[in-house]
Amino acid sequence: MTRFGVIAGFLAIVPLAQTQSPGEWPTLNGDYSSRRHSPLTQINKSNVGQLTQAWKFRPNAGVIKGTPLMVNGVLYLTVPDHVWAVDAATGRELWHFNRPSRGDRIANRGVAMYKKWIYFGTPDAFLVCLRADTGEKVWEAPMADVHFGYYMSLPPLVVKDKLIVGISGDAADVTGFLKAVDPVTGNVLWTWNSVPKWGEPGSETWPSAEALAHGGAMTWVQGSYDPDLNLIYWGTGNPHPVMNGAERPGANLYTCSIVAINADTGKLVWYFQPSPHDTYDRDATESVVLIDGVFRGRQRKMLAQASRNGYFFLLDRKTGEHLRTTPFGPQNWSLGLNRRGEPIPDPKKDPRPDGTLFLGSGTNWYTPAFNPATGLFYVNAAQGVWSLTYLSAGIEGEPEDHQGGREAPLGGGESSLLAIDYQTGGVRWKLGYGNAAGILTTASGLVFTANSGYLVGLDAENGKTLWKQNAGGPASNAPITYQLGGKQFVVVSVRDTLYAFVLPAKP
Amino acid sequence: MLWRRITFLQLAFGALGLFGQNANSRWWAWPANPDPQAAERGKSVFTAHCAGCHGAKATGTAKGPNLIRSRIVRKDVDGSATAALVRTGVPGKGMPPVPLADPEMKELVAFLQWTLQKYDRVSFGVPAETYPLERLLTGNAEAGKAFFSGAGGCTSCHSVTGDLAGIGRKYAPVFLQSRFLMPRATKPKTVTVTLPSGEKVSGELRTINNYDIVMKDSAGQTRTFDAQTTKAEVQDPLAGHIALLPKYTDAQVHNMFAYLWSLQ
Repeated sequence: MTRFGVIAGFLAIVPLAQTQSPGEWPTLNGDYSSRRHSPLTQINKSNVGQLTQAWKFRPNAGVIKGTPLMVNGVLYLTVPDHVWAVDAATGRELWHFNRPSRGDRIANRGVAMYKKWIYFGTPDAFLVCLRADTGEKVWEAPMADVHFGYYMSLPPLVVKDKLIVGISGDAADVTGFLKAVDPVTGNVLWTWNSVPKWGEPGSETWPSAEALAHGGAMTWVQGSYDPDLNLIYWGTGNPHPVMNGAERPGANLYTCSIVAINADTGKLVWYFQPSPHDTYDRDATESVVLIDGVFRGRQRKMLAQASRNGYFFLLDRKTGEHLRTTPFGPQNWSLGLNRRGEPIPDPKKDPRPDGTLFLGSGTNWYTPAFNPATGLFYVNAAQGVWSLTYLSAGIEGEPEDHQGGREAPLGGGESSLLAIDYQTGGVRWKLGYGNAAGILTTASGLVFTANSGYLVGLDAENGKTLWKQNAGGPASNAPITYQLGGKQFVVVSVRDTLYAFVLPAKP
Repeated sequence: MLWRRITFLQLAFGALGLFGQNANSRWWAWPANPDPQAAERGKSVFTAHCAGCHGAKATGTAKGPNLIRSRIVRKDVDGSATAALVRTGVPGKGMPPVPLADPEMKELVAFLQWTLQKYDRVSFGVPAETYPLERLLTGNAEAGKAFFSGAGGCTSCHSVTGDLAGIGRKYAPVFLQSRFLMPRATKPKTVTVTLPSGEKVSGELRTINNYDIVMKDSAGQTRTFDAQTTKAEVQDPLAGHIALLPKYTDAQVHNMFAYLWSLQ
């Protein structure tokens, strides 16, 4: 049995040295594909309704937005500045590491594991290496300068013998990057800048070196990796100033892009830009989900993203060739698609000083999931949201701040869990009253997420509710599942508490 | 208020995701907030000595660099590096020495740090109440009036001599523009629940989602229904406004604003 039910090639280089046992959750999204799909089947459609709380862990340190890993019976959980190792069977704390820092503390999404070490990012943009068995610090290394608003919210992605680090924090008009870091020494092995230097390819999509140097494109949601192609896939953030596009005419590469990077060299292999010349903070950092399957009768290696701009994209992940672009909700800002399959923004719908009536749909950092058996891509999304958008510019049209505009929400939309058929891009079913929560699917045909303020287990085929649990609010991280001591656990946080659910013991 | 509407939908786009929900838990790179009164006094020091080259908001001009993005200012947590640079100037780059006394220098540094933090803290937010009228007043009031009593169908519920009398002076201009498109509800949503038996129960809607319907019935009792086994029909007093949104052009929005603002 494969450990993650992943494409066979993935197994050869799973980033852990430990003996692999089925049913662990060893990376942020379970495996390299970001599908958040587990091969476990003990909890199934007929018994999920009986799920009951096994334990809870409440570290009393604020909202838990981190998604834990589970390796060798130990969960590793984070909030900004803190890491806990928790017994995955009982919820008992094994160790706790605290490193107070200054910097943005909006969230910490989790840790990475390589051999016997744990890695996490800090509000002051350091990467910290801990011993997995004791929580003792081994080393720390700065990834960026906190004085420029940089921070780290996501863990590295372990690729072979490298840690791939993305970066957060764009308030100071800085630029993003990916770094490959040596897991043993903390040394930087390569850096890929998410906007090019003046004169490099892509810089022709910017008006000046000055605009480029403050162009944005953060890399703050974890990417994916295909070992066969040796390509890392990552989504990038929006350009700056965010809403004032007049300051930066052009497509603004590689902002709002999906990029394929050679894992050994850090060189760009291809890119696709979900939002050329974005003026609405519609970054393309959302999960890039790797799908192996049939498209138009042909087996292909593909990649899908439900983007913050309200479009579902399906690409060939070897070449970047566009296969499908489909909006998953109404919008009024796009003039259609260009030859690459990228939406063309309507300049008339850019933010203006007197206000522009804007209609959009989209999703955000909360992770989607893909179930290969149903062929459905699950995403919590907003559809048809209205707002008035304002360009806030000075007398000479210069942006007044890094945002460069304001937005007055009007309402009118709805939020739902969408099940998108990857082949057509069409929504096969949807469940209203969606929450901003991550999603998990299983080989037993289940979808776990939050909806209507409950934790829910749904039938992956049709969205029918098979289990719901009131835990005082929607999930604040993404659910995971693992098997330990013969029992399958579903673990998810609600506010400041991590909950574990199992089937009741047989009488 | 308007903010109450911002739940999941805006999380999708970042309004509260970055700002409201987490405002208390965010730390910034600077150890302490500068004293706002010192910053205010520092603003006059800055205006007198620095703004000519660095711009009124310290974001730079052709004559002097952007100080918000300045490495020296950003890394100068205690203000000493800025003070040293101001006192000596930058020979050869056109910046003269500015011999400020200690108290003034402290105020100048406070102003720079306050400005910098303000800049960094801006997020996806609503425009300020003070958003200037002249930026908004681009439409034609006559055309707005024609839309109001014609295509917009507004007169079926509203009257400019009745409920909308003097509406132009009731709100800050930028809020007026949002509010006429999507007002604050003055009446609650109501719901009619059809039970499996066919019985219908109506009341003021409190909560509705995939699993629960909570209402206050006509007797004032709070009642909860299972949404999976009942049928609910919601009446939203703002339904007319929501239905109108897709029908507006931007020009009509600005015409309507000009008209409603003229109702002083």
